[in-house]
Amino acid sequence: MQDVRLRTGVAVLLSLTAFFSLFGAIAAGCWCLVFARHLSLEKHGRLFLALALFVGFFAVVLSVSGGDGLSYFIRMMAIILIGVWVYSEQKKGEFLRLGVWLFGKKVGFELGLVADMAMQAMDLLVADFHAIRLAEKLKQRPMSANRIVSMGIVLVNNALRRADDTAELLAVRGYRNGGSLCPGFETTRLDIIASLLAGGIALLVILHASEFFILYR
Amino acid sequence: MRLLLKGVVASRGEGAGDWSVLADGIFSEGIHLVSGDVGSGKTTLAQVLAGLLVPASGTVARDGILSVMLSFQFPEYQVTGLTIREECESWGVDSGEVLSATRLTGKEAFSPLRLSRGELKRLHLACLLSHTYDLLILDEPFSSLDCSEKERVCRQLSERKTGITILFTHEQQTFPRVDYIWEIVNGRLVCRGRVPDALPLWQHAPELVRNLLAAGKCPKNIAPGDLVEAACRM
Repeated sequence: MQDVRLRTGVAVLLSLTAFFSLFGAIAAGCWCLVFARHLSLEKHGRLFLALALFVGFFAVVLSVSGGDGLSYFIRMMAIILIGVWVYSEQKKGEFLRLGVWLFGKKVGFELGLVADMAMQAMDLLVADFHAIRLAEKLKQRPMSANRIVSMGIVLVNNALRRADDTAELLAVRGYRNGGSLCPGFETTRLDIIASLLAGGIALLVILHASEFFILYR
Repeated sequence: MRLLLKGVVASRGEGAGDWSVLADGIFSEGIHLVSGDVGSGKTTLAQVLAGLLVPASGTVARDGILSVMLSFQFPEYQVTGLTIREECESWGVDSGEVLSATRLTGKEAFSPLRLSRGELKRLHLACLLSHTYDLLILDEPFSSLDCSEKERVCRQLSERKTGITILFTHEQQTFPRVDYIWEIVNGRLVCRGRVPDALPLWQHAPELVRNLLAAGKCPKNIAPGDLVEAACRM
């Protein structure tokens, strides 16, 4: 999906749909299979698997304590799938353009800049994690709680150091708040069709929920 | 003991702006210097040689090499201890000796990440060079070090008598005594041969070496002492 406005809107809509109903989650998953062209589970396979295990653990706990663990698992996985899709399709500067388009050159610029910097930090965090894993492999250290803690400390330390550097750089360049930007977007026919279908799914879920409330009134 | 590269392609990405390095050759025992411009693929090639990355094509074969170590350009990635003492222990070295050699005595209980990058690099190299590895690969070992520390590391490296040591660097001032010179030119790893015969062919040669060669004073090696000796030669 080319247009970041539609992509973000669809992601929010489908996430809410998936969160509030099992039908919505399944429909959102199907939508991703059809329209999420850049969704590469092969590329983000490990991340997806790690999140699946994480959510799976809580789903089991929920089932054991009498809740509907399976429904929780499916709904959360649909939301994660949407998140991976948004992350896969994201290009540099898109959130900045979206922020300015939504909220203007002051607040919008600030929010967009923060969101873009957060996405960039995420990429660097993944690169850091990869480098640490390689280094650990060389040292041949056995897995222990200390090792996980030290990995986490290095990741956080690097992220904070970079954030500090960026803040200093912005200050040195005289950044106060806001900035000028004329956001431009490219919308394809497929973007519109995919967005309309996502809206249709959300509508079906809302209607389904209304019926549910009427029946039990 | 040899490291054999046959049609090895180390690459990053597949899109525009990405690159690849083609490497063929044999690294025998001794100290090898691999120079190349920033962004020429030295780090990726170092990781391929260390067996951490799979090459896009070709093979890396190790003959008689039993232990391998790669020193990363950024030492914080290799930190596994919560304190400097633990960090030394994680390398299997005595913290007292290493801290005294690196002028960090009294900081045993500090987190390694509280050190400046230069101090951490110093600690990292001291721990790493306390061991004898069959294949030791150093990616930009001199970055973040001051001149005196670079010279100390070079002296330590020059003293390595066994194993294969490969230095990937774009350093232009301080070098250890090396046996072979390689360089990455136009996406290809090229062996320039043994030092000093390799010096006239070395495209990334430091200005001082180029000036000495132009003056007809070929240094015996590229360590600071050799360069001074050549410069003072009548």
